Amino acid sequence: MPLSRMTCPSCGAELSFHPPRTANGKIACPYDGLAYAELRAGHDRIYFGPWRKINAGPADVMRAYNQIGRHLAAIERAMGDKDLPAARHDLSKASEAYHSGDPRTDERDALRYMDHALSYAHRVIDDLLHEKGLPPHAPMYFAEWYDAVEVPFKDEW
Amino acid sequence: MIPLDRYPKEISLRDGARVTFRPMVREDAELLWDFFRQIPLEDKMYLREDVDSRDEVDRWARNLDYDTVLPILAFSDGRVVGDATLHRNRTGWKQRVGTVRILIAPDFRHRGLGTAMIRELRHLGEKASLHYLLAEVIEKQQAAVRAFEKLGFERAVVHRNFVNDQHGRLHNLVVLLYPMSLSEDEEFY
Repeated sequence: MPLSRMTCPSCGAELSFHPPRTANGKIACPYDGLAYAELRAGHDRIYFGPWRKINAGPADVMRAYNQIGRHLAAIERAMGDKDLPAARHDLSKASEAYHSGDPRTDERDALRYMDHALSYAHRVIDDLLHEKGLPPHAPMYFAEWYDAVEVPFKDEW
Repeated sequence: MIPLDRYPKEISLRDGARVTFRPMVREDAELLWDFFRQIPLEDKMYLREDVDSRDEVDRWARNLDYDTVLPILAFSDGRVVGDATLHRNRTGWKQRVGTVRILIAPDFRHRGLGTAMIRELRHLGEKASLHYLLAEVIEKQQAAVRAFEKLGFERAVVHRNFVNDQHGRLHNLVVLLYPMSLSEDEEFY
């Protein structure tokens, strides 16, 4: 069966693989109805993106870098003036890592900084979810929607 | 004074269980005592205080002082299932450093409660204008070490064969530090 691709009309997530359909035949978005769906989808789109694969090219990396920039801006909008100093601190660290990791100026360390920026961004999303009394976002639960070969080790305390 | 108007705070764990966080009050002594009685002997060895003493637990409840020790309890179905404390010094050279300690009931471990409690203490530490949070964890408690690291705590030092368990065996102690937003304003001289 060929790989399907779609952009979710509700949250903008770029999804692939064999998307399940609802009873009325529409493609079901896995983020639909979830708190901060846009941020979750934005994170996962980058997290499972081609830039992290061994055969990633400069264009994949540059595209991911730009996506991270837009993702951080979206998080900042979602934060608004919420009184979340720890999350705000993480967002500033994400922004710092993002600006340090511009592939046009620092090819060697760009991937590491981009990875850090995404990791800090994930933490901010989890802080926002925590404030709503919700569990952290777990990308692995959405992996089947992406062309992901493997998911990271999961452990909880 | 840390603002506590965010409590009681309800949290959902990934498996759907609902837990409520709130600061400990004097009337929680009995529930806290029940909680400590669930903690396996092995884990009690790593605690600083004698939680096998009912008098000691009653004394804590009577002498609550949130500016020195702020205990946040996690409740589920009327019982205490987690205890997270933020320890602060009012004066002295460590007044900008908060020490965090977290204890989770055995049946609530590996369900994300510990991580949620670290997140809560991180928020409180920021509100208390601390510069660092410090946690000490036995190295073999890898899930706890990873949870702290995942939330930004960094291994500052590992003391080899530093603490002993009830059988006299020695264990490595990991000291983790979390640099808070104010830590970056530090001026060195």
